[in-house]
Amino acid sequence: MALSFQTIRPLFQTGSSASSRWLSYVGLGIGVLLLLCSAQMFVNIQLLLQRNNVQKSGYDFISVTRTVTNATMGQPDKNLFHEGEIAEVRKQPFVEGVAPLLANRYRVQMGAGAMIPMRIDLFLETLENEFIDTLPPTFTWAPGQEQVPLIVSSDFLEAYNVFAPGQGLPQLSSETVTTIPLLLTCSGRGRQLQFYARIVAFSDRINSVLVPKTFLDWTNNEIGEGPDQGSARLFVKTKDANDPKLLAFLDERGYKVNSDKTKFGRTKGVLQGIFTGLGIFGLLVVVLALMLFSFYLQLVIARSRESLQLLLTLGYSPKWLSRKVSNRFVPVYIGIVLSTVAATQAIQWAFHHLAMYDRPELQTLVHWSVPALAVLLIGVSVLTNYRLVRKLVAQLGEGA
Amino acid sequence: MSLHLQQLLPTYFDASRSETSEVWGKDLRFDKGQRVKIVAPSGSGKTSLMHFLYGLRRSYTGSVHIGGTTLGNLDAEGLALVRQQQLSVVLQDLRLFPDRTVLENLEIKRQLAPYHEAEKITEMAARLGLSGKLGARCGTCSYGEQQRVAIIRALLQPFDYLLLDEPFSHLDNRNAEIAMGLMLEEAEARGAAILFADLERVEFFPYSTLLHL
Repeated sequence: MALSFQTIRPLFQTGSSASSRWLSYVGLGIGVLLLLCSAQMFVNIQLLLQRNNVQKSGYDFISVTRTVTNATMGQPDKNLFHEGEIAEVRKQPFVEGVAPLLANRYRVQMGAGAMIPMRIDLFLETLENEFIDTLPPTFTWAPGQEQVPLIVSSDFLEAYNVFAPGQGLPQLSSETVTTIPLLLTCSGRGRQLQFYARIVAFSDRINSVLVPKTFLDWTNNEIGEGPDQGSARLFVKTKDANDPKLLAFLDERGYKVNSDKTKFGRTKGVLQGIFTGLGIFGLLVVVLALMLFSFYLQLVIARSRESLQLLLTLGYSPKWLSRKVSNRFVPVYIGIVLSTVAATQAIQWAFHHLAMYDRPELQTLVHWSVPALAVLLIGVSVLTNYRLVRKLVAQLGEGA
Repeated sequence: MSLHLQQLLPTYFDASRSETSEVWGKDLRFDKGQRVKIVAPSGSGKTSLMHFLYGLRRSYTGSVHIGGTTLGNLDAEGLALVRQQQLSVVLQDLRLFPDRTVLENLEIKRQLAPYHEAEKITEMAARLGLSGKLGARCGTCSYGEQQRVAIIRALLQPFDYLLLDEPFSHLDNRNAEIAMGLMLEEAEARGAAILFADLERVEFFPYSTLLHL
């Protein structure tokens, strides 16, 4: 027959200290509620702001340049990225990949013949294929090939269609543009090379005119002027463009980032900071409540000192007594923590339905981390109580 | 199984006490089934001896071994186990819960290491004249009644050694003899030894060994 605590339960006097016990219960409830709500809000912020990123294949691609100031103007070595700097960016844990955007070192002019009677100077860049969002299989070039495929930013077409009517030029659809034969004239080192070009895709990600790397390397080699001085732009592949660590890293080095892609990250950083602070405050309240409760336990044991000593004298196991005394409060702890989980659930429901109008990014149910945290808190409370009671009973046992 | 006292001497006694005592500073071995009478005048350390043997105090030199285990080396858990299974005691100061009833006091011990069924309490109480007192708070009982409660409590668990420290100090001869009879029966049933320390010889205790403290 298992030894029952019922027989000896009346020996433990909780007496007139009930007020301090209830105070500690209320404190524990408030602290746990603050902690759980902070954890849930932390998750909500992540979910709400992550959806504002332009993600393709689960990654964000951001363009990074160096800030050109009056002091660095005209000094390419200070405004371009060097190999060492690229390697440093690459080894950061929040960076999945880096590719420099390489540009032409010769003059490029483009015309569209009689259909669009205009001729413009432009720049060409190249980027590793892995970083291009719209990559058709025709985006290749080999020396001797007359036709050069181009990938152009969709913003450029939009800009053209804005000013074209005012210049007496036709507005064009993206499908039409891809059928227009273009003429590229590349000049440098006293030579002039001509190629036919065709736009094969538009990119939402890269604000440039891209050509295959083989073309740019070949033409730079043939007619490029001046030495290769590095890249003015880097393309960074990351899981989250709003990662505060990534932003802090870029800020620290004075690198400039496309702000509309990262502004949510900065807002997120601030909000997460606020809720982390609130979570820490909640944790402090929990610690204070547990301390108050430990004082209450000490009082109970001090009042029941003689009974406990006599039980030990009779042969009761100190371990068993400690477990039974501390376990008396386990249902109370579980009750408090479960109530706070329910309250957190109610708050989350109100936040989702009433404040966020059922936004699909959010869930009405609390995140799994909230009940997990609640279980952890129960475990910590029970363990700390048991250890305290065990220590006090062991001290009593020295005199029994 | 034996209880072995090796050069046992309280730290607050002079070493010369071992020259006049048959217990202090001596090597003694008590086997199961033995009846040992320890006669000790006031101040000779009778209660100290019982406390040492029950593991209540460790202010002694030498050692106490029970079944090969050194009592002084046991931790609190080990000591609790020995008190549940091997040693039982009737202390001079009784140590009852004054706010609990006689029955509750007895149940607290019985349930710890049940040797008898709950009905046995009623039977023992009737034998020692406590039938009407089972529902009374111990604090309201006379000292003689409390002494009988302490005696019954000591008999509700398994034991190899029953330690008695002046168990009849507040009982008349008739009641003391009845209580002794009960203790002898219970010890007999367990094959246990009795170590009985008192101020003077008690005629109705059939000792096999007599020692002067």
